[in-house]
Amino acid sequence: MITGVKLGKSYGDQRVLGDLDFQIEAGERVALLGLNGAGKTTLFRCLLALTDFEGELRVAGDTVTPGRKEVRRKIGYVPQQAPLYDMTLAEFVAFFSALRGVSMEGPASTLAELGMSLEETGAKALNELSGGMVQKALLGLALGSGSPVLLLDEPTANLDPGARRDLFRRVRDIAAETTLLFASHRLDEIELLADRVLVLHGGRLAFDGTLEELWQATDAAPRLWLSAPAHEVERLAAALRECPVVSDLRANGAGVEVDVRGDASLDLLLEVRQRGLPVTDFRTRPPSLEHVLDRLEVHDASLVEADASPVGRGEG
Amino acid sequence: MSARLLAQAGVRESVRAYWFWLNAGIFVAGGLLLMLFGQVDVSLLGYRSYGRALAGLMQLALFVVPLMALLSSGAAIAGARETGALDYLLAQPVTREEVFAGKWLGVTAAVVASLIVGYGATGAVAAFKGVPALPIAMLLLFTVVLAAAFVSIGLWVSALASTRGRATSVVFTLWLALLALGSLGLMAAFVRWGLPAGVLQAWSLVNPVEAFRLAMIALLEADPGLLGPAGAALLDNLGRAGLIAAASGSLIAWTALAYWAGRRAFTAAT
Repeated sequence: MITGVKLGKSYGDQRVLGDLDFQIEAGERVALLGLNGAGKTTLFRCLLALTDFEGELRVAGDTVTPGRKEVRRKIGYVPQQAPLYDMTLAEFVAFFSALRGVSMEGPASTLAELGMSLEETGAKALNELSGGMVQKALLGLALGSGSPVLLLDEPTANLDPGARRDLFRRVRDIAAETTLLFASHRLDEIELLADRVLVLHGGRLAFDGTLEELWQATDAAPRLWLSAPAHEVERLAAALRECPVVSDLRANGAGVEVDVRGDASLDLLLEVRQRGLPVTDFRTRPPSLEHVLDRLEVHDASLVEADASPVGRGEG
Repeated sequence: MSARLLAQAGVRESVRAYWFWLNAGIFVAGGLLLMLFGQVDVSLLGYRSYGRALAGLMQLALFVVPLMALLSSGAAIAGARETGALDYLLAQPVTREEVFAGKWLGVTAAVVASLIVGYGATGAVAAFKGVPALPIAMLLLFTVVLAAAFVSIGLWVSALASTRGRATSVVFTLWLALLALGSLGLMAAFVRWGLPAGVLQAWSLVNPVEAFRLAMIALLEADPGLLGPAGAALLDNLGRAGLIAAASGSLIAWTALAYWAGRRAFTAAT
């Protein structure tokens, strides 16, 4: 559905994307992971034919030609920053539906699936809606216009955690048939939605594989969050530091976040219980992106030495 | 199709903006005041008695229309870029050429609509007073061309400016400069530097504000003394029809060339 061959992009002397080779099959849900400045938005701009580039890009059977609009009919797009338009929600949906050459029915019904009724909120000005509602409107347009490919550029960056999870769950349910490429620097979002992960680092493809493969490749274990009463946090942190399975920890007034070596999370929880440590609740959290990228730099460098081609799927 | 949709959206957005109603209000108020108090009874002095009132209306257009056109068009692209609206729009199946055309059509149509509202009220009073509609229609027509030229110039600036604030400051400076460098201001500069009179005449035609003023004075057969030294010399050299044609040509050329330059700047951003 989406193919990039030797995709490169420079702004002046600055190389933003370097010789990316990748393929995304129809119906796949792929996360594009990377820190700010990794090249995620630039890759999206290339896919949307908004900027010139080197190499070859194909989307849904069309070769992407910079400046040509045809490929954009096949792509629904949700940006990181909700655009400000002096329109009501109904006008906004009507205008962009017409621009995409589709009737309003599709976006309106997708909006309803997303929990937003045009009958109830259509008369509201866009700037009166919450960030989450605007993102839903954008998503409704993108999904409801029948495009086979959906690009989400950190669409939940400005949302609170609850709204973020809600939006991603709905995307997962509604966009089951759509090929999805979404940019994020949040591993928890990726866990919710992605079948596969592409990691961009410094404009290069540092990893291409499943999330499990990413954990294995980077020797990353999920973090454990242990809640504790404020006055007990210090005692808990001190006790945990002595545990051999704990590689690192960070404490705040509500509890302690622990990096656990290997698969020892359960062992650690059992030890906490046996020692009667003051833990009131626990949750697992994905590893930090910084940790993953630190490890990938090593892998990437070794691969560059061995073979100039980027990491292939599942090879990370 | 896309340009038409974009233009419609632009008009809707403009009609909600304060400047649209400000522009219309200024013309309604100015036109009514000039028509009610700026002329004497037509039955006594005939058509020419409206020259003063129309000249006053022309002066009003000369100050207000370029500024309104520049401010609204100057914000059209740079403002949309700043709010993320442009990026989102360009991610849809539209070309940059269509977006530029749509912005131009939308802003021009909104400015023209506000002029029609303003001149419409003036025209109604004028008709009530027995004045022929033709001079007001000609004034409206030339004001529309003036507005179109400044919308093109404003969009050109907007395509090049990185922020709305920068675009606004540039178009405001441009407006002041073009007004200041009218006939008298420029003549003083030419006398100071001893430039030939031909250059002053050419500048009077190149400056769109001056071109509009000369065309309107010639068209309304107003007092040639109002033309200023450069305009009077042009009237001698080109004749009335020639002066009107040259000044109109200048406004149309500004519209087309600034549009072309703006579109080029906007599409080059790929």
